[in-house]
Amino acid sequence: MKAISKRIRAWSLVSLGAVVTMLVMSLAVPFFTAPVMADEATKAATEAAPKVEMAKDIYFKTEGPVSGNPAPELKATDYPSYNLPYPLSENRILIWSIAQQHLYFGSFVLAVPIFCMIIELVGLLTKDPVMSKKYDDLAHLLVKISLTAYSVTAILGGLLLFSFITLYPDFFKYISSLFRPVMHIYALLFLAESGTLYLYYYGWDRMTHGFAKWVHACMGVLLNVFGSVLMMLANSWASFMMSPAGVDEKGRYLGNIWAILHNALWNPLNVHRIIGNMVFGGGIVAAYAAYKFLAAKTLEEKAYYDWMGYIAMFMAVGSLIPLPFAGYWLMREVYGFRQQMGITLMGGLLAWLFIIQAVLIGALFFSTNYYLFNGMERMRGAEKYQKYIKYILFLTTAAFLVWLTPHTLVMRPAELKAIGGQQHPVIGNFGVMSAKNGAVNTMIMTTIISFLLYQRSNKIVVVKWEAWGNAALMAMFTVALVNNWWLAIYGYFIPANVRVGLSVPQVIGTLTTLFIGSAINIAMMRGSKLTGPIEWGKISVRSQYALFSLAVSFTWLMALMGYIRSSVRLFWHVMEVFRDNSPWAFTHTIGFAANMMSVNVMAFWLFVLFVFWLGELTSKHAVAEARKEAARPAMAGGSE
Amino acid sequence: MWIEGYKPIELLLILTITTFIYIGVNYLLQKIGKRIPTFPQAILIWLGTYFIFKYVLTPPIPSALMYTYMGLVTLVVFLFISSTEKGWTEFKRPILNTVMAVTPIYKGVRTVSFVVLPLLIGYGTYDFNVPKFDEPIELRTVHPAPPASVTVRGTNFTLQTARNPYRVDEKGDYLPVGKEDKYFKQNPFSPDAKGYLLYVREGGSIFFQNCHFCHGDNLNGRGMFAFAFNPIPANFSDPGTIAQLQETFVFWRISKGGPGLPREGFPWASAMPPWEEHLTTDEIWKVNMFEYWHTEFFPRTWD
Repeated sequence: MKAISKRIRAWSLVSLGAVVTMLVMSLAVPFFTAPVMADEATKAATEAAPKVEMAKDIYFKTEGPVSGNPAPELKATDYPSYNLPYPLSENRILIWSIAQQHLYFGSFVLAVPIFCMIIELVGLLTKDPVMSKKYDDLAHLLVKISLTAYSVTAILGGLLLFSFITLYPDFFKYISSLFRPVMHIYALLFLAESGTLYLYYYGWDRMTHGFAKWVHACMGVLLNVFGSVLMMLANSWASFMMSPAGVDEKGRYLGNIWAILHNALWNPLNVHRIIGNMVFGGGIVAAYAAYKFLAAKTLEEKAYYDWMGYIAMFMAVGSLIPLPFAGYWLMREVYGFRQQMGITLMGGLLAWLFIIQAVLIGALFFSTNYYLFNGMERMRGAEKYQKYIKYILFLTTAAFLVWLTPHTLVMRPAELKAIGGQQHPVIGNFGVMSAKNGAVNTMIMTTIISFLLYQRSNKIVVVKWEAWGNAALMAMFTVALVNNWWLAIYGYFIPANVRVGLSVPQVIGTLTTLFIGSAINIAMMRGSKLTGPIEWGKISVRSQYALFSLAVSFTWLMALMGYIRSSVRLFWHVMEVFRDNSPWAFTHTIGFAANMMSVNVMAFWLFVLFVFWLGELTSKHAVAEARKEAARPAMAGGSE
Repeated sequence: MWIEGYKPIELLLILTITTFIYIGVNYLLQKIGKRIPTFPQAILIWLGTYFIFKYVLTPPIPSALMYTYMGLVTLVVFLFISSTEKGWTEFKRPILNTVMAVTPIYKGVRTVSFVVLPLLIGYGTYDFNVPKFDEPIELRTVHPAPPASVTVRGTNFTLQTARNPYRVDEKGDYLPVGKEDKYFKQNPFSPDAKGYLLYVREGGSIFFQNCHFCHGDNLNGRGMFAFAFNPIPANFSDPGTIAQLQETFVFWRISKGGPGLPREGFPWASAMPPWEEHLTTDEIWKVNMFEYWHTEFFPRTWD
């Protein structure tokens, strides 16, 4: 036994060492590449000084040696296409669908390891051995599901690459000439991620205790580092197309790869996508659990999948809370980069799609709250908190009403005349950003209140300072809400650049209620009397449809916002540098775009069902074991 | 009933007060043992909200928005009644009783429902499909995206970076956006007005010679000719118009007028002339300053 333990320990160290080396090597490449390429450029400049042309970076405004060809000026005949019936005759439709599916699966396989890492760590830190194993098994099951999705992602990535090469050859040639070293690093990182993933998965049953388990958990961290860097590199291609940098106005490379990578929208997009992936991944897992719950035949099965759905929902919504702030930062940078682009998105051509986005975001908050309300039903003693549901729903609805009111109203000329102008004097004011900030923060805070009530549902507080604790919570939420509404109103009376800054105290207020509120609530729960266990599996069927709603809203949102982000370039492949001269360089109607998004969403869900089914074929035994343990009752709250 | 400047808050207050009255009444009825069952409660909430949006909120909101709001209310009513098992069971009971015809009264209701509901659905389908001669719904973009640059009277302006050359203080130094509020309450017609105020005065003269006939002497879009147009001219005193835009956007709009709007802005639905044909670029910048000074709004910036 000791020998085995030693062997496992040695094997763990070797695995860890190999992975770390791969990580360091791949991360080092950019540091080598940039100076090397810059050296080459400088050398070239020195050796043939008169011949080297210098040009100005269109974004950073720095001078650099021209090191590449200008962006090609294409004709309609330069886009080879298939003779397929409309709309498949448009190359962009094919690219759109394939890229969307690749992004969905890519997001899923990037998000699931994040959850696995967290759940495995929670399992490691949980003192109760039964609960610890329960968490560990859940993480193992999730990574198993993601393995098939990982292959699908790679296949779709290959398909996307071939589609670019065959359908947009000149575009791809130009982009690859700029991102040449980045593409190689990307491929290496993909290799490193695959290796780590397989080590992580196949090492699970070998590295179960002590030091080896910690090494395994560290591999989970490494897996996520690889995944995140991989995603950031891919993001740089998309963000470069929106906000090019590192090239001159003709699109010629100026010898500094870092300038190309570090364009105006790269980091906002990175942050937004990492958080978005986590929300999405949580949503998919929650939908999986809901599906299994509905299909379950025994109470044991129901209990396990009810618990799994709760954990997934909790992680998705935990990630959802900072997402609007990341989105706000991204949009602020878009406006900062080009006023024209920002207005096209939020005030102009694509503004109505932002209203659809608002509706879907509202659906997320309503679904979450509804799930928590229904979740209270499986705890005895929750009745005393159910009377607050109507207040929470009212506040959320009022905020949502403000949130979804558009700035550009759709109306008939007669309605326009009746209003007396394009701006409605009452609800017209809800259409601008100041009101929206107030609304979204309110919706987040009502969701936090729902969660705090849920945590308390099956407990009787016994701490001596209960009254003070409740008063502190009440005061904190009241101050945060009033501060949020006051700043939303005040925002109408100050310059826009100051108004943008007001979002910071609003966010601070919201996050204070989240972190300090949760901390006070958890402290109040110490030593509390249980009115009964959480009766996992006894949640209503309706709540499971709320989980589906959560997941489908996420996928729809990704399709919608992906389309908006891409189509804001209008008739440019690379904004203001490389013009799209294809026969289909026009913006689709809102109706057509919405239908395409829905087709992509449906195709993805069919794919997902297939992946789940494949996962089922291999995991029946493991799940059966885990289910037995999961049927054990537990306490309410985020930790369980 | 609606107080100028407080209208959006008023609407939210009306909804809040109505909700609390409803909760209070319901509580009292429950205390005396005459609680309203869930099914009629749901209908009451729905109708009460419809009443507020339809008859209290004036001027009337467009039908598309009305559908959106009532769709939201329907969803929320469903969430409310089904958030607890007790509420959901109670809500379903009269529906199930009707379907199963548990009493002669329910049987009567079922008969009527089974006749009336298909007829209503049939009428709805007919009404949806029958050709109509109403004006179509229009999605006119109020603030379409500006071009990256515009050429006005032979000079090219990059809208992202261009500055109003007359935005200067008394010493002639550039006055950053947000610093002009000290001039808001000062008199531009004072004989010793300099810098910013002087140009506001000049802009005001140009405005009253050219713009106020449509945009009004309070800049609220209600000039003497305003109601000859549909839509009426933009209301600059509304925080949703120039307060949301960069100075260069307004410069572009004044210079190019209605004909210069992109298609999503419905260039055919604007009577605004391209003022570059009548005013110099300097005059356009000065009018621009006057509009912001008069309304006490600040143009949008991204610093």
